[in-house]
Amino acid sequence: MNYLYFLYIQFLLNHNIPKIFGDITFPFIPFCIVAAMIIFVVLVLVLLERKVLALFTQRKGPNRVGPWGMFQTIADAIKLLCKQNIDILGSDKFLFNIAPIVVFVPVMMLWGIIPYSSEFVFMNFSVSVLLYISIAALPVIGIILSGYASNSKYSLIGAMRSGAQIISYELPIMFVLLSIVALSSSMNLKDIVYSQLGEGAILCWHVFPCIVGFIIIFICMLAELNRCPFDLPEAESELVAGYNTEYSGMRFALFFLAEYALMFIMAAFLATLFWGGYLPITGKYISEIFFSDNQFLPVFIYFEQFFWLMIKTFILVFLFMLVRATLPRLGTQSLMKLSWYLLLPLSMINFIVIIIFKYFIEGGVL
Amino acid sequence: MNKIIKLNVGPQHPSTHGVLRLITELDGEKILSVEPVVGYLHRGMEKLAENRSYLQYLPMVDRVDYLGSFFTSYAYCNAVEKLLFVEVPKRAEYIRMLCMELNRIASHLLWLGTFMLDLGASSPLFYCFRDREVILSLFEELTGQRMMYNYFVFGGVRHDVSDDWLCKVSSFIANLPKSISDYEKIITENPIFLDRTLNKGILKPQTALQFSVTGPNLRASGVEVDYRKVMPYSVYGDVDFVISESNRCDSYARYLVRIQEMKTSLDIVKQAVLYLKNNSDNYLTKINSLNLKIPEGEYTSYVESSRGLLNCYIKSDGSPKPYRVKWRTGSYYSVQVLPELVKGLNYNDLIAVFGSLDVIMPEVDR
Amino acid sequence: MFLNKLKAIIEGHFTVFKHSFKKRITQEYPEVKQDLPENFRGVPDWYAEKCIACKICEKVCPANAVRIEKGVDNVKFGLNLSKCIICGNCAYNCPKNAIIMSKNYETAVASKSLLIIEKNSKDNNYE
Repeated sequence: MNYLYFLYIQFLLNHNIPKIFGDITFPFIPFCIVAAMIIFVVLVLVLLERKVLALFTQRKGPNRVGPWGMFQTIADAIKLLCKQNIDILGSDKFLFNIAPIVVFVPVMMLWGIIPYSSEFVFMNFSVSVLLYISIAALPVIGIILSGYASNSKYSLIGAMRSGAQIISYELPIMFVLLSIVALSSSMNLKDIVYSQLGEGAILCWHVFPCIVGFIIIFICMLAELNRCPFDLPEAESELVAGYNTEYSGMRFALFFLAEYALMFIMAAFLATLFWGGYLPITGKYISEIFFSDNQFLPVFIYFEQFFWLMIKTFILVFLFMLVRATLPRLGTQSLMKLSWYLLLPLSMINFIVIIIFKYFIEGGVL
Repeated sequence: MNKIIKLNVGPQHPSTHGVLRLITELDGEKILSVEPVVGYLHRGMEKLAENRSYLQYLPMVDRVDYLGSFFTSYAYCNAVEKLLFVEVPKRAEYIRMLCMELNRIASHLLWLGTFMLDLGASSPLFYCFRDREVILSLFEELTGQRMMYNYFVFGGVRHDVSDDWLCKVSSFIANLPKSISDYEKIITENPIFLDRTLNKGILKPQTALQFSVTGPNLRASGVEVDYRKVMPYSVYGDVDFVISESNRCDSYARYLVRIQEMKTSLDIVKQAVLYLKNNSDNYLTKINSLNLKIPEGEYTSYVESSRGLLNCYIKSDGSPKPYRVKWRTGSYYSVQVLPELVKGLNYNDLIAVFGSLDVIMPEVDR
Repeated sequence: MFLNKLKAIIEGHFTVFKHSFKKRITQEYPEVKQDLPENFRGVPDWYAEKCIACKICEKVCPANAVRIEKGVDNVKFGLNLSKCIICGNCAYNCPKNAIIMSKNYETAVASKSLLIIEKNSKDNNYE
């Protein structure tokens, strides 16, 4: 971020604008970028999901609005914006209105901690992983609020299920994250990416020593996202729409937005931790080959890094969608059993194995 | 404080297969009691018959069970034929059997798709509809319409099948086993599916007989009663087939029995096609439906439909209109037995068990 | 045991993924229309020159949707499409084939009154 900050101040000074103005306005730029990106990515993801699910079931998916159905989600979004917000009789108005915001804001915050490239990190803390754990558990508060405030039994059951689910699936995630922290000796996401840099290119990724951990965290992420096969809180065949049954219009759109934004950011987070983040799959930056003499080489590299992260993220998103297309929903009790009896012990064992691996192969834990 | 939630599942609910209302008492997620309320789709099918001549009522019969129109049609035609003491030409009977077996496959395919949707898996639904579509197209070519056929007439069938159509049927039955093996790859061994269905909704043979449950649900409880075999009607006595049966008594058994039944139906269709290709008949019906003189009397016909025993009782007083028509359909008894199956299970098992019973509401309410 | 479960899950995913290489089955309805079979049953069509006003169609219609009126030198035909269940009874039982099931299945109209079809053998504008 320092480099960008430097460029920004330089730009302002060239136009005779005082530095203090730049200092104040600079933090708003990442916010605007994140907000714009969320809208864009969600629009793309919703279309992509519908297209991919259609692909798996021999259909064509949306193909009416625009070429290849490209403006379908935009049309849907406009429809949602124009719809009436229905106030539910007997609902707790304040909590009912605030719940979608409580769900959406933490998701937006999560977008700030991912290193999109070695320079584009909006919140570069030394304890990003810890921050992730604490923020990622926040949306469930909004979900429980929405279920409680809706004055609907379906919503209430959905919200309670969601609460139980998040509590049981947070723990394995933490143990897997700990093993990653042990592998890379850092809690900073940028350092974690750096620790996957090496001669072996792909082979240096954390996914290879920690393959069990990757599978565990992939399952737990599905559970945190309330996606199939863990979509019990919004199981449409049982609870109509679960916690957002009573929501309509813009409030529902916020839930929708949060769900897909969270899906994307979790995929990006997984890619950062296990698949080398913004590091190139090829081992070497392509821009270095083509633009080696260009003075803007660093800028090209930043964008290329972003490109690599997107590719990895979308592969993971595709996997999320494949799982959704195939698996039926878990039962309530086996959902708990899977976490407490299988994933949690397995993630603990994995943690110990990783520490031993780190101690003997690479010498020293820290 | 009262901890028991009284939840009205339906009449408008995504997975009650129409407009069934289940008054459910829940303690948390545990089901204390379920009370099905039927009658939201009552169309007065039996009363309508009393105001119409036998021929006028013939197209309405298809609407009793819209997924198994040929079964209801056969039951009605058969009862009228028995009252008239007429013989049906053998070729016509073979065509009827062929149609009924294809209809059974279509009905079971739709059940499989919606059952998997109830469990939360989306793809199998589309695959099942894809295959069902082929059957419906075949029916459209034969009878003129996709669901309401009006093809069976008193004493036979309306018109002959062409060799071209029989070839299409042959190619369809050659392709279907491949699709069925695909479903089995996705579903049968899937641990989540097993978890949701194994030992869930156990229907003991005694209970099944007490509630007079018939059809695949009864056969899944280990009672080997198939009216095609026990009291052969039509030309079922001339073809070879095995009754599918399972001793497990649970939802999984009902799934296995239906998959097996589709394969059995394919065998019967194969034999019927062979007969129809090699034999011909001058007549397809020997009576003129327009001037029916039905003597006084009563008769109850029976058909093993895709949802159990289907009875059509007709009492005639010699007038052009039936004095009384009574339908006995399989789904009605499957709905009644539901409270026995789900007591003590979780709420999401309610939907899974209900889905496994293969209930469609128009057949229940008539 | 555990490996079997894993194998089943992976096999399921693979089977679903395999379908993405198969032929698309979506039919883009208003632009692309299905080929209708020869004896397709659409909206009933009346041919005045064949009709002998025997009123059998009135008698066999389960929904009382067809009406035939015999005048001095003409025959009037009335069909209420909002009642008609397109069962084909009238066409199948017509002794002179004066009613034939057409291939028209798109019966959505803007107003209910458009669903009532009146034809007179005197008019020449019938099809």
